[in-house]
Amino acid sequence: MIQILYIEDEIDIGSWVTKELTEREYVVTWLKNGENAEKYLQNADIVILDIMLPGLDGFSIGKRIKNEIADLPILMLSARTAVEDKIEGLSFADDYLTKPFHPDELVARIEVLLRRFQKNEDILEIKHLKVYTKDRRVVNSNTNEEISLTGKQYYLFQYFIRNLNQILTKEQLYEGVWGETYMEGDKTLMVHIRYLREKLEENPAKPMIIETIRGIGYRVKV
Amino acid sequence: MREFLRSLQAKYMLIILIAISLIQIGYLFIAIFVMGIAKNMDNQNFSEDITNPDAIEGKWHEEANDLQHISEEQIIQHFAKWKKSYPEASMFWVDENGVLAEQMDVKEELPYDWTPSFTAKFIKERYGGDPFTVIAFIGKDETNGFIVLEITRKSFQPPLQTVYDQYGTILLIGMILIILLFITVSFLFFRSIRKRLLQLQEAMAIRDVDGLPIQIDVKKMDEIGQLEKTFNEMVLELRESKQREQEEEQLRRELIANLSHDLRTPLTKLRAQTYSLGRETLTQQGKQAVKALETSIVDTDRLIDNLMSYTLLMASKYKLDRKEIDVVRYVRESLASWYHLFEKEEFDIEVELHPFKNNKWKIDPIWLGRIIDNLLQNVLRHAKNGKYIGVKTESTDEYDAFVFIDRGKGMKNESIERGVGIGLSIVDMMVKGMKLDWDIESSEKGTTIKIKRYR
Repeated sequence: MIQILYIEDEIDIGSWVTKELTEREYVVTWLKNGENAEKYLQNADIVILDIMLPGLDGFSIGKRIKNEIADLPILMLSARTAVEDKIEGLSFADDYLTKPFHPDELVARIEVLLRRFQKNEDILEIKHLKVYTKDRRVVNSNTNEEISLTGKQYYLFQYFIRNLNQILTKEQLYEGVWGETYMEGDKTLMVHIRYLREKLEENPAKPMIIETIRGIGYRVKV
Repeated sequence: MREFLRSLQAKYMLIILIAISLIQIGYLFIAIFVMGIAKNMDNQNFSEDITNPDAIEGKWHEEANDLQHISEEQIIQHFAKWKKSYPEASMFWVDENGVLAEQMDVKEELPYDWTPSFTAKFIKERYGGDPFTVIAFIGKDETNGFIVLEITRKSFQPPLQTVYDQYGTILLIGMILIILLFITVSFLFFRSIRKRLLQLQEAMAIRDVDGLPIQIDVKKMDEIGQLEKTFNEMVLELRESKQREQEEEQLRRELIANLSHDLRTPLTKLRAQTYSLGRETLTQQGKQAVKALETSIVDTDRLIDNLMSYTLLMASKYKLDRKEIDVVRYVRESLASWYHLFEKEEFDIEVELHPFKNNKWKIDPIWLGRIIDNLLQNVLRHAKNGKYIGVKTESTDEYDAFVFIDRGKGMKNESIERGVGIGLSIVDMMVKGMKLDWDIESSEKGTTIKIKRYR
C-alpha cells in the first residue's frame, strides 16, 4: 500500500482529499501543520504539501523534507498560482498542482511521481504487456514469453513508462535517454523506436503501445 | 571661506595673481636695475655734455685754442684732465714739425712722422667715422701743431641703450621663461580639471548589476568634488527609489497572490462538494446542475487567473524575462500538454510545425506559454462545435508565424460563455510586450490567429 503524507490546514479540503485518496486505496496521513511531519517521513512514499500553513510555510517544510530524504517525491498542492510561487515550489518539489483541482488529476500526478521515484507496485500492465519495473523485465501476457530488450531499448521504454500517458517530443526523448542535445534530422531515435515496436507491438505497422502523435511526438498510454 | 579656498575658482585666481605679480616684480626688478645703472653712470659724470659729440667738439677746440706755453708737460696735463672726464677717450699730439710728440691710450698704431698726405688721409678716414675724432690746432695759430681726441661712438649711447645691449638677451629670456611658466601652470591646471571631468564622465557611465550607476570616490572638495558628491546623493536616491519600487511591486504581487489564494480556497471547497455531489445518485436535472457547477468553477478559476495577470500587466508589473529559446520546440511541448484535452473533446488535431530559418526567438517562455494557453483555452471553450484545432508554422519573406486555426462560429458569434475579452487582451499585451505581432481573422467558418515575428 502506498503511504501518503498530506499536510493541509483547510479542514474541508483536507477531509475531501483524504477521503478521495483513501477510496483509491492509498494510506493517507493527514497533518494540519508541518510541526511533527518528520515523524511520518520514514514511512511515507510521497508527500502532498500545501503552501499557506500556520507556522512554518509549505516552502520551508518542503525544503527540509527534501534535505532529509532526497528521494521522497513532493507534490505541492496550492491555491497560489503565481509563476514566482510555482518556480519557488519547483526548486525543490517534484510537481506543483494548483487549486481548484480535479481529484483524477491529483491521482494521475501522484502516480507519475511514484513511477518516477519507483515507489509503486513493480508490475505495470500496458495492453498485452506486463512490465516488471524493479526486475526490468517485459513479458507478453498473450504468450507468457519474456521480451528481450537491449540496454538502450529498455531505457527508452522505461522513459516512456516514467512519463506514462504524457506525449513526449523527439527532443525530450532523445535528451532524456541519450543525455545529449537533439539535432534536427537525427534518425537514431526513430530507428530505436522502430526496433522497440518490432519487439513490443502485436502489429508493428499499427502500433498500440507506442503511439505516434502526429506533429508532436510519441506516447505510451494505459 | 574654507570652501572658497578649496574651490577651483580660488586656485585659478591664485595662478592669475601669481602670474600678474611675477610680471610686476619683473618690471620692478628691471626698473631698479636700470635706475641703478643710470645712477652708476651719473656717478661717472655722464651728463648730456659728455654724450653730445658737438659739445665735445666745441669744448676740445675751445680748450686747445686757450692753451698757452705749449710744452710736453702742459699737453700731458691737458690730456689727463680730459681722460678724467672721458675715461674711454684716447688722445695724441702732433707738434709743429709733424712729429707725434705725445699720446695717451691710443690703441692703433700711429706713424711717428705726420706728412701732409698722411694727415689728409687720416682726416678723410675719420670724418663721420668711428671712433669720433676731433682735431684741433693748439693756440691761436697753427704753428704749435694739433691735438687729436678719439672717443668710440659707443660712449655717446644713452645708458638704457647700453643696459639693453648688455642685459637685453637675459631680460628677454627671463620674460619668455615667465610666460612659459604661466602657460605650463595653466595647462597643468586645466589638464587636471579635464582629467577629473573625464573620470567623472566614465564613472557616471558605469552601471552596477542592478542597472544603476555606482557611487564615485570623492577625493577633493572643490567644484568637481561637489558635483561628484551630488551625483553620489542622486545615485543613493535612485537606489532608494528603486528599492521602494521593488518593495511596492513585491507588496502588490503578495496582495494579488494572497487574493488569488483566498478566492481559490473556497472555490476548491466548492469543487470538492460538487464532486462529492456528482457521485451521489442524482436525477438527470441534478446531474446537469452538477455539470454546470463544475463548468462555472473552472470558468471562475480561469477568470481569477486572467484578472490577476491582467492587473499585473496593466501596471507593467508582470515580470518579463526575454531569452533566446527554440520556439518551435517550445510550442510543440506546450501542445503536448494540451493534446489530451482536445483528444477528450474528440477534436480533429492537426499539428504541422516545421523549423523556421531561425528557430531562436528572444522571448519570455512563460509569456509565450500563457499566450498559447489562452488561445487554446478559447478554442476549447468557444469553438468546441468546430471540433478542429490546427497549429502550423508559416514563413514568408516578411515574417515567421505560428498559426492557430479553429472551425468554430467565429468571434462575432461568440459562444454563450463570456470571458474571451480579457484572455485576448492578455494575449495582446504579452505579444506586444515581447515585440511580436499578431492578427485575427474570424468568420462564421472559424478563426485564424497568427503570432508573428517580423524578420
